[in-house]
Amino acid sequence: MGLLGQPTQEKIVLALALVLCLGFALLLPGFWTASNLLNLVRSVSILGILGVAMALVVIGRGIDLSLVATMAVAVAWSLQLAESGMPMAQALAFGLGFCLLIGLLNGFLIAYVEIPAIFATLAMGTAVYGFGRYFLFSLDIVYMPPDAHALTWVGQGTLFGVPAPIYMFALVSALAFLFLRYTRQGRYLRSVGDNLLAARITGVPTRPIILMQYMISSVIGFLAGCVTAASVASMNVRISNSTLIYDVILVVVLGGIGLSGGKGGIRNAIVGTLLIGVLLNGMTIMDIQYTVQNVIKGIILLTAIVIDTLLNPRDEQTAQQGDI
Amino acid sequence: MTPILELRKGTKLYRGVAAVKDVDFDLNPGEVHALLGENGAGKSTLTKMLAGVVEPTSGDIFISGEKVALPTPADALKNGIAMVYQETSLVPSLTVAQNLYLMDDKPFHRLRGIYIAGQQFLQSLNFHVDPAALISSLGAGQKQMVEIARAVHHNAKVIIFDEPTATLTPEEKYQFFALVGRLKKRGVSIIFISHALEEALQISDRITVMRDGEHVVTDHTSNFDRELIVQAMVGRSLTEELYGSFQDRQTRQPGRKVLSVQNLSMGDVVRNTSFSVFAGQITGMFGLIGSGRTETAKVVSGVLKRDLFHGGNVQFEARPVRYRVPRPAVKDGIIYVTEDRKSEGFFETMSIAYNIYLGALAGGQADSPIISMKEMRTLAEHWTKALNVKAINADAKVIELSGGNQQKVVVAKALVQKPKLVIFDEPTRGVDVGAIAEIHQLINKLADDGIAVLVISSYLPEVLHLSDRILVCRQGRVVEEFDGSQAKEESIMFAAVH
Repeated sequence: MGLLGQPTQEKIVLALALVLCLGFALLLPGFWTASNLLNLVRSVSILGILGVAMALVVIGRGIDLSLVATMAVAVAWSLQLAESGMPMAQALAFGLGFCLLIGLLNGFLIAYVEIPAIFATLAMGTAVYGFGRYFLFSLDIVYMPPDAHALTWVGQGTLFGVPAPIYMFALVSALAFLFLRYTRQGRYLRSVGDNLLAARITGVPTRPIILMQYMISSVIGFLAGCVTAASVASMNVRISNSTLIYDVILVVVLGGIGLSGGKGGIRNAIVGTLLIGVLLNGMTIMDIQYTVQNVIKGIILLTAIVIDTLLNPRDEQTAQQGDI
Repeated sequence: MTPILELRKGTKLYRGVAAVKDVDFDLNPGEVHALLGENGAGKSTLTKMLAGVVEPTSGDIFISGEKVALPTPADALKNGIAMVYQETSLVPSLTVAQNLYLMDDKPFHRLRGIYIAGQQFLQSLNFHVDPAALISSLGAGQKQMVEIARAVHHNAKVIIFDEPTATLTPEEKYQFFALVGRLKKRGVSIIFISHALEEALQISDRITVMRDGEHVVTDHTSNFDRELIVQAMVGRSLTEELYGSFQDRQTRQPGRKVLSVQNLSMGDVVRNTSFSVFAGQITGMFGLIGSGRTETAKVVSGVLKRDLFHGGNVQFEARPVRYRVPRPAVKDGIIYVTEDRKSEGFFETMSIAYNIYLGALAGGQADSPIISMKEMRTLAEHWTKALNVKAINADAKVIELSGGNQQKVVVAKALVQKPKLVIFDEPTRGVDVGAIAEIHQLINKLADDGIAVLVISSYLPEVLHLSDRILVCRQGRVVEEFDGSQAKEESIMFAAVH
């Protein structure tokens, strides 16, 4: 209240991140240094980019569980093609095309066949991983050809001392922000997430918008995959089976983008990412076990949701009938 | 006589705003007490305090003269107070008997046992419902019967009905009234919230009218008539202005034929219906629930896709059309204004301005790919002023407005799309009396401006008041047409039910 206005989950999470920052800065030697802070943001850049992709879909009342599998398989295929002699640019174009196709399929299943997004994309993720693993490459890890300097920069380069992945994160966030806020399609996407039936009756092309939203998320995912591959000079397809996809959803929900659609924006995804970044960095410096880190992540998420529910109670009265 | 249930100085605040203020209310044993008032008058909140759903901010509740606290609905039920809601609280996937005995303190029920007990019990109430039927397979009226039976089973001495007749067909309503009579004979006291004044006058012993969260008047029903109640509800006499002298009204002449529907069918709901709508005229469409009015309108405007069992054709502006989604219909100028604004009317996370602007974006009136805040402001300012939307400013969220103002925003979102044909489906449902007059004025103005208007309503005075022509629907088709200036209430109703 007061200066800060109504406390929203976004503000709570931001405050929590700042408090953690302050605590770590006072207690942990080496936390509050330029290099560590850059490292902190760098380490969550990929998570952040994926978070933005997921945020766009969730705001449109969907969810994309195939995001990580698609990115891993598409990028690994690109690398495989490049290794077998195709020019890097062409190989990447194939990978991008693969992502667009998967996004289109997801969107088609959800918008036209009307399968719930969670099932359609879950099945799609499994299918994509299996397909890639069997038909496109033979090993789980595909290495980057040594001559792909341009791509390497995206993951390992720096500009004015700031690592390239941070620029990529900033760029994707800025573009997504502008798209959602200032374009007609962005408004359509939000209207579909808020109330699909109302959007349809108003004349919003709801089905094309749903197609678009899954294609965008796939493409942003591809970008995240490129950054991943470039920073470690390889792509490990097993990442599809890791908990990464849940971390992505965690970032989105933590930032305050309601899974019921229409709520929140790109800012929320960024705030969620930063909190996770600070937390993981601090815990790593403190040398806390990975499994314990998961417990702490889970508790943080629950806490954020509980605080939000306490501060912004769902008013049963207005929610149900609007008649006092 | 000690009242069986009494509330003294009851107050309920929501975020500092009083929904109910210092209200005294009492219910005598064996009495039917009607509770009337506009939307937002505080009727629901008052009864929810009595049923333990809402905790009073201050005030005391007495049962047969003894002070009690009712923190939860279960406590109220223990004290013999049951509430029957508009939306039923039955479990749809269980059977009637299972629902009846759901809250008994027994870990297991033998199905056979409860079916037999249920059968006997339902028969004793003269309800014809199969105890083994699934709730989800029942109609609205039967669900309500089960809900009432459950209240009686729990030995309720007081049953509170929230808008019990809103979803019932005329036959079901008749049965409901008979049931209220039987309950009364068993010594049950009844509180009855309603919007239908005639019903209240017909079945209640006493009437309480509320306005803006305050108690206005309580008296024996015989001391009231329609006029007096409306006056108490609105604090001024609006009936004349609203539904007054529709008999000697001038009707508009039809302009060119804008919409022509021939032999349209869709499944079992729309059956071989034919009608036309003309420019510069209001065509009223009257029909009871289940007469296929809404579905006909939705098929015409592309909201409902015609399924395999379809037929017939639709001509718009002398051109055959067939819409599979609403978007091309909107582009052509057919706008459907929904009867259910909450689930398909407006965008609750967005401001008034964005809601209206989205209409312009989707309708192609604001067609730049980059949105313009300036254009949005101008549009919002124009339409909130034109429709007299009452809000702090255009940045207020639609969900925070009253029903009438929400409806105005939905209408603004439709009108911004420059329609040639507007279909209003129950334009004043859940709208307060003041806003009803404004919406009617607006609909009249649209017709005066030469737009074709189709108004669907199940409220006869509204249809009579607005329409230049009246179409009556029954069992999925338009069965009769009346001239607006000559139609009589009785003859329209006759056509609708026979």
